[in-house]
Amino acid sequence: MIRTLPALAGSLTMALCLAAPAAQAHHSFAMFDQAQTTVFRGTIKDFQWSNPHAVVWVVNEAKPAGTPDVWTIELTSPGNLTRMGWTRHALAVGDKVNVEINPLRDGQHGGSLKKITVLATGQVLTSSLIIPGKP
Amino acid sequence: MNGAIRASLLAAAVLLTGGSALAAGDPADRAPTPQEWSALASLPDWSGVWTPDIEDQFVKAHTNAPAWTPKVDAEMKAMAADEKAGKPHGIFLNCLPEGMPSWMLVSHNALEFLFTPGRVTLLGESDGSRLRRIYTDGRAHSPDPDPSFHGESIGHWEGDTLVVDTIAVLPETYIATGEGLGVPNDGALHVVERLHLTAPDTLHDDLEITDPKVLAAPWRTTRIYYRHRGRKNEIVEGVCLQGSFNEAVDPQGHAVFAPVAQDNGNVVPSPK
Repeated sequence: MIRTLPALAGSLTMALCLAAPAAQAHHSFAMFDQAQTTVFRGTIKDFQWSNPHAVVWVVNEAKPAGTPDVWTIELTSPGNLTRMGWTRHALAVGDKVNVEINPLRDGQHGGSLKKITVLATGQVLTSSLIIPGKP
Repeated sequence: MNGAIRASLLAAAVLLTGGSALAAGDPADRAPTPQEWSALASLPDWSGVWTPDIEDQFVKAHTNAPAWTPKVDAEMKAMAADEKAGKPHGIFLNCLPEGMPSWMLVSHNALEFLFTPGRVTLLGESDGSRLRRIYTDGRAHSPDPDPSFHGESIGHWEGDTLVVDTIAVLPETYIATGEGLGVPNDGALHVVERLHLTAPDTLHDDLEITDPKVLAAPWRTTRIYYRHRGRKNEIVEGVCLQGSFNEAVDPQGHAVFAPVAQDNGNVVPSPK
């Protein structure tokens, strides 16, 4: 999703104006604790449909107003997500969602997505390293 | 390779090919005949999109681990401990191709097969697993092939099984059992594969991997793939380095890629 910068950005360098960095290099998912599940409700801040891993940023609404708590949540690749029923339009900025993730082992606010429910429509989308369709 | 070895290999190649290694007798020099195009119809049907069995890969990492040399075994045990502790080694973080044999062993991405006269081409979904050319035109290995990520692959059909012999893989290319577990092949790698259907929509790649620099014995393993059809399963473009950029708008209003700060890929920081 294109992240439009404020008009003020014109006088600044782009790098300074970008939102939080992502870690999307081609990596193992071992930093996520597959034995733990974290569930929370929040609002989509951004959704990036890109390789090697799509990423969704969700603001956890449990945090008091004024102290945004943004979770960086990784998914599998767009190709494999498409096979699981996703499209690049599956999530939109501002969507209220319930998320279920395997959290980062180091306690930082991130994880790998297991399931996301778009509250307005009830649509449930899942992400997994295991590709469905075994005959 | 030094000059003497190169000269002797070239001489051997000239002998093997009747004195004209690069003359008109080389299968690589011929145009395919109409009969060879027609003969493709008698090959097994490997059309569609094939996805690897990741669950089976995870199981085999424990049940069929390679017999590493003692030195490498110690290195791999340390890597496995780090992986278990949630600090995986990012052996593919640089987005260079997984190469051979790791593409066939650990990729989570789909692939497809293309048959043309004298060649089988594998196209993968990510640029970590983008392209393999397997020559089935009857040629022998080159006398002194340039090392590459996927090596030089020469194949032939034994019934409905494609047998592929691969050499000349770059020594820096990993033999991996996971995306955070692997060791460079160090330059002595030889891979023989037997690809065949075991059910209408199930394909096995039986690999025998020999590498005396890091393996104490040849490693035999099988990667399983399942066939899918339909538009949602078609291969999409997967550019690994795209993940190193954010989509942004520059001061002129153009859509651009802007580099993001990387953190070695092992931690996703919270933008608090």
